[in-house]
Amino acid sequence: MSLVPTYRRRPTPLHAARAGIGICYCAAFLAVGVLYSNPLVLGGALAGLVLAATCAGASAELRSGARLALPVAVLLVVINALVYREGNTVIFRGGEVLGRRLDVTLESLAGGGVAALRVLVVAGAFALYTAAVDPDAVLGLLRRVSYRSALTGSLTTRLIPVLQRDAERMIEAARCRPRPPRRGRVVLAVLARSLDRATDVAAALEVRGYARARPGRGRRRPWSRHDTRLAATALAVVVTAVAGKVTGAGAFVAYPSLAVAHGPRELGLAILVVAAGALPFAGARARLGVAGA
Amino acid sequence: MLDAVLLARDFTYTYADADRPALRDLSLEIEPGSFTVVAGGSGSGKSTLLRAACGLVPHFHGGVASGELEVGGLSVRDAGPSELAAVCGTVFQDPESQLVMGTPRTEIGLSLEHRGEPPGAVARGVEEAALALGIAPLLDRRLESLSGGEQQRVALASALAGRPQLLVLDEPTSQLDPVAGDELVWLLRRLNEEWGTAVLLAEHRLERCLPAADRVLVLEDGAVVSDSAPAPFLEWAAEERPTLATPAATLFARAGLRPPPVTVREARDRLRAGGLLPAEAEPSADRATSEQRGWRGVGRRRPAAALEFRGVWHELRDGPAILRGLDLRVEPGERVVIMGRNGAGKSTLLRHARGLLEPTRGRVERGGEVALLMQNPGDYLIHERADQEVGEPGLVAAGLAGRGSANPRDLSGGERQRLALELVLAGATPAVVCLDEPTRGMDRGWKDELAARLGRLADDGAAVLVATHDTEFAAHLAERAVLLGQGDVIADGPVGEVLTGGWHFSTDVARVLGGAGGALTPDQGAVLLERELVQ
Repeated sequence: MSLVPTYRRRPTPLHAARAGIGICYCAAFLAVGVLYSNPLVLGGALAGLVLAATCAGASAELRSGARLALPVAVLLVVINALVYREGNTVIFRGGEVLGRRLDVTLESLAGGGVAALRVLVVAGAFALYTAAVDPDAVLGLLRRVSYRSALTGSLTTRLIPVLQRDAERMIEAARCRPRPPRRGRVVLAVLARSLDRATDVAAALEVRGYARARPGRGRRRPWSRHDTRLAATALAVVVTAVAGKVTGAGAFVAYPSLAVAHGPRELGLAILVVAAGALPFAGARARLGVAGA
Repeated sequence: MLDAVLLARDFTYTYADADRPALRDLSLEIEPGSFTVVAGGSGSGKSTLLRAACGLVPHFHGGVASGELEVGGLSVRDAGPSELAAVCGTVFQDPESQLVMGTPRTEIGLSLEHRGEPPGAVARGVEEAALALGIAPLLDRRLESLSGGEQQRVALASALAGRPQLLVLDEPTSQLDPVAGDELVWLLRRLNEEWGTAVLLAEHRLERCLPAADRVLVLEDGAVVSDSAPAPFLEWAAEERPTLATPAATLFARAGLRPPPVTVREARDRLRAGGLLPAEAEPSADRATSEQRGWRGVGRRRPAAALEFRGVWHELRDGPAILRGLDLRVEPGERVVIMGRNGAGKSTLLRHARGLLEPTRGRVERGGEVALLMQNPGDYLIHERADQEVGEPGLVAAGLAGRGSANPRDLSGGERQRLALELVLAGATPAVVCLDEPTRGMDRGWKDELAARLGRLADDGAAVLVATHDTEFAAHLAERAVLLGQGDVIADGPVGEVLTGGWHFSTDVARVLGGAGGALTPDQGAVLLERELVQ
């Protein structure tokens, strides 16, 4: 399995939708993760992402994204617990270290946990986007804004698996040496190889007329039912999330004592975000017109 | 005469930091609609000529150019690669490094989009190029899910989508198996005939592309030393540059027959017309397998094998079985080639031999150290200087004495391979030496040197196990051939039997002679023909 989530074409509504709609759908979960600190809402967003990734056949990619984000999330919890001394509920007394009391409070742990949850939601949204939104279609979408940046992004997505295969081969080759080299040396060689690849790709782009690239016009494409359903779902999530935020829903206070809002508004928002992960995929067994990879 | 699509007048080019020119006083014309093969050894200037034609030289690589080189009326000294892209399509060796988008559809459309074509024209260009190259069903697949041959077709379609006047291809078949390579060359010929696109193709395996060519240019040290149609070229090569002659031409030359044939069919027809086609004969007696040469003693213990596979299975967790109960025994000093189509399990077998993979069932027994050189020798070279890789004795053994300060990435393909081979051998003779596709992109001179080096290792007692598609190399090197199919052995015998018994896994000489006498190489074939001539 790939270490980094990569796009793979699959016959699902999210893959079949236009890139802009796919981006909006993933961004809706991202918006919830950015706007809210309430663990109930964040938990709903994470569950919605897991559902969406499962329905889009991208569970493995979501797991890859989670694996990358997990160390950061754990680090946040640990640092928050060790650094913040606020909070009324001490759950661990660590004595004095370097003239500073090392007490861990339930509130600092919960504060770190919420930050970690947000990181996981944000990473999950990006993993879903990477796995299910065609980078070529994104390039087509963005070429009128910044073609070169969009092409760089597309190239990165395309070359990551190539470089990963290069690295795997070089590590295997290092194992074949009678005296295996230091890991750092192999890493340097892998980096040098990636520069060689970059030079080759640059040459390939040159002979394809890259230096004279002119802004192109996208082809007009009618909206499909998948576009409509995904767009409606994304819109519902974003509007509800913004409205909730404006009206003060989803409050979360960590210090000095934990206070988590868990009324009907929070519950409703959480249910909506969970449902958003499944609704666009419901009843989509009809032909999608997507070639299997 | 039509205006030349490529016109060179005293064109000389020297790479930055190089002490001598890569192209010297080049003067030539390539006519529209022609199919020209560029031949020559490694470092002869073939790639530089092609890179000059598409403008990468001098604009991308830097260096100094003098004289004139025009492509489609544009001077490469004034117009850069992007301007020249409108008149010259380019295909490189490695498909992975030249495909930049995610799907064939977007890949093929990219150069048209760069030219500012409207969406309708892009869509039409993509469809036409895809249909012409037979890749329409692949248009929406992810590029990484395509085989090497399919990826190279996509690269070709991308180069052709803008209908360029000239198509330059730098060893486009070197990373492909023989079937995909042959298909690509014949596809080029068809496009050349139907679309009228001039083709300039650099290749090492001339027997593959000469039948399609109108003209052969031979470069040496950056200068043209021969420029003629394929038949006169082969006559010249038989006399002046035997390493460039095709096996069939060499067979005729060794048997004293003139003129040399361009195709296998021509060779066979001429032999048949002259009554020289030998009757079916027994394979040479001196070519015996380990089974035949090996242990027949009764009551004595069989000596230990250098390598033995016993019922080895390699089953992927979420995929098919790559090896299926494979049994194979290789004796010390034996030279064995492993052949089979892509995906037959050749590389997996070698990885098991080295211990990089563990069988899911069965076991592998090794009689000692196993050295493995995989397909890309560059993967082994991780230092900035060649002498940091192997030390002075290794450099001498690799034929690189005095070049210790060279960066391994700057060495030629053959040099890198010799260096990597010495690296895995580490100065000692292991029990088994395994090589995976060692002749890809190598000229015949390098192949002969490699065969000689492996022969010396076998003479020192090492079993040599080579996975290859190159039947000519296999015939030159091995005494035993093992054919793999679906992860198991489907044929195992003397190379003279296995490589004459079929059509695909067969040398050109065996095809010409119809497998008579088990003759695989021009020398063996010439002996048979001389016998027929005497009769």
